[in-house]
Amino acid sequence: MKWLKLAIKNVLRNRRRAIVTMLITAVGVSAILVGGGFANFTYVSLKEMAARSSGHLIVAHKNYFEREESIPMEYGLDDYKALAKTFKSDKEVRYAIPRIEFTGLISNGEKSTIFMGTGVDAKYEFRVKGPFLIVEEGSVLSKRETEDDPKIMLGNKLAKSLKAKVNDSLTLITTTVDGGLNAIDVTVQGIFSTGVPEVDKRSIMVTLQTAQSLMATQKVSSVALHLRDTESTFDKYAELSSQYPDLAWQTWLDKAFFYVGVKNLYNRIFGLLGFIIIMMVFFSIYNTVSMSVVERTREIGTLRAIGTYSREVTRNFILEGAVIGIIGAIVGILIAFLISFGLSLADIQMPPPPGRTNSYPLVISIPNNLYLVTAFVSAMLCIVAAWLSSHKAAKKSIVGALSHV
Amino acid sequence: MNIIETKNLSKQYQQGALSVNALTKINIKIPDRAFTALLGPSGSGKSTLLNICGLIDKPSAGKFLFCGRDIGNVSDQELTTIRRNKLGFIFQGFNLIPVMSIYDNIEYPLILLDIDKKSRTKRVNAMLEKVGLSKFKKHLPDQISGGQKQRVAIARALITQPNLVIADEPTANLDTRTATDIIELMHKMHQAFNTSFIIATHDERMSSRCESSYQLQDGVLL
Ligand SMILES: Nc1ncnc2c1ncn2[C@@H]1O[C@H](COP(=O)(O)OP(=O)(O)OP(=O)(O)O)[C@@H](O)[C@H]1O
Ligand SMILES: [Mg+2]
Repeated sequence: MKWLKLAIKNVLRNRRRAIVTMLITAVGVSAILVGGGFANFTYVSLKEMAARSSGHLIVAHKNYFEREESIPMEYGLDDYKALAKTFKSDKEVRYAIPRIEFTGLISNGEKSTIFMGTGVDAKYEFRVKGPFLIVEEGSVLSKRETEDDPKIMLGNKLAKSLKAKVNDSLTLITTTVDGGLNAIDVTVQGIFSTGVPEVDKRSIMVTLQTAQSLMATQKVSSVALHLRDTESTFDKYAELSSQYPDLAWQTWLDKAFFYVGVKNLYNRIFGLLGFIIIMMVFFSIYNTVSMSVVERTREIGTLRAIGTYSREVTRNFILEGAVIGIIGAIVGILIAFLISFGLSLADIQMPPPPGRTNSYPLVISIPNNLYLVTAFVSAMLCIVAAWLSSHKAAKKSIVGALSHV
Repeated sequence: MNIIETKNLSKQYQQGALSVNALTKINIKIPDRAFTALLGPSGSGKSTLLNICGLIDKPSAGKFLFCGRDIGNVSDQELTTIRRNKLGFIFQGFNLIPVMSIYDNIEYPLILLDIDKKSRTKRVNAMLEKVGLSKFKKHLPDQISGGQKQRVAIARALITQPNLVIADEPTANLDTRTATDIIELMHKMHQAFNTSFIIATHDERMSSRCESSYQLQDGVLL
């Protein structure tokens, strides 16, 4: 305690310098926290988006993910209703939604193009997609749709290329499970955007029964499990995949290419920036302590002469560095906190990320462990910087130090 | 027993290719409870000898015994331990710690010795009384005069009741009257605590106060 008091007094000796160093530390810490908070928000959003579009866990026929089907639905799931029911009974599973993935041609009578279709369970699919599926025109598919009036939802880019509007009629053509061709007429129910132009150029959605009758099958491609908590994905994956080894399992992460790509990119960018900031803070503290070591050479000599161990002298300087660093870190945390709070009020929109069309709100969500890590790192920086700049001086010749002017 | 004994002690400084003989074959004995002056013109080697006596420097040749123990092979760490337990220092430039109050400056060596707070308070207050600075205990070194600073330094040197106090020209930065006071105070302390003093000085009055003296000239004892 008395050493800490002494350290504080020594720090206050050159107030201006101490304050500047603290501010540099504070700015560094807040920059790391704000940058990290932004990256974290992006990760969490993309993770949620990925998980909601694919489901947290995807279960399919044993060969579905591995092998190419030679005929459509060769590796489909027969007994999906029973399976979905079993999975649904698990407390942690919110929804178990069957899906059909299929491809074919879509035509407006004059022009045809390839589509990537999904047959969805209209009752649940749109509930889980929530805000991540933007319906630009019309509405989502209805579970009350009748078999003789099938509906379709189109990606906005596809709709544009086919000049399709809501209530227009289009034709879907695909291969059935027995290898024949089949076509049906569908009415446009809605036009959506996922924010990924590549997807919006090809995607369509129809109800499960439309897809099944189009392909003349009773099977589905996969069942998507939506959990209550994204964090429990991998535990659940381990549990279920060992419980049902005859089925193939994937997690949302296997399908989240964009999430993985962005995360790798951001980790590198923010990691590099963070490293630069850390070096700046480090050299600033190193400089401050070094200057104060040089200025106080005679004092160090005096303290050593009257019986202070060199490690005690070093410890005092480390405490001084720590005082500066810790106060700087606390101020930095406060600044970061204010910035993230201010931004949450300001509602600033960020431009769309590469390969996307939708802008998104600038939100800083700083994870608690980032606070801890940053505080710990800045404390360590101070200790190392103070040690580096003082330990030699503390061991220098006492006579030399005493005659220093 | 002698606190200090030297046998053919020499000290050389290397300055590039040149080597300066600061001390040559010094043989001295400082007994317990001595009040010894170290005299000589500027550059004669007083400070050099005093630094060795204060265990903050080592001889280049010869033997140096502190309380009968050869300190030739003693580690830095252990020398520090000896200094904090058995030595006190008074400097020409006072060398108080500027951020510490007068009280804290005097208390500091007791903290190094891990003495509990209660007896520290008692001892520091008694010492403040002895050097006549009770009124100034909350002041910072900057807020008192040179003579008062040197009193604080004397108090700091003696607070641990050391065996030996090293004083390098303690009155050189003071005016004549204040210097006389400081000389008197040191002598009084010497008698009160039975502490040995070695004092390097130019001051005539100081040397006349001393019971014994050594005279140096160009690094040689006269
Ligand atoms: N660090 C050093 N490097 C080189 N030479 C030194 C060093 N310290 C002292 N000397 C030399 O050693 C000799 C003795 O110096 P010292 O400081 O002991 O003299 P002094 O008697 O204390 O003088 P003063 O009365 O001026 O303080 C001098 O010639 C000085 O130049
Ligand atoms: Mg000298």
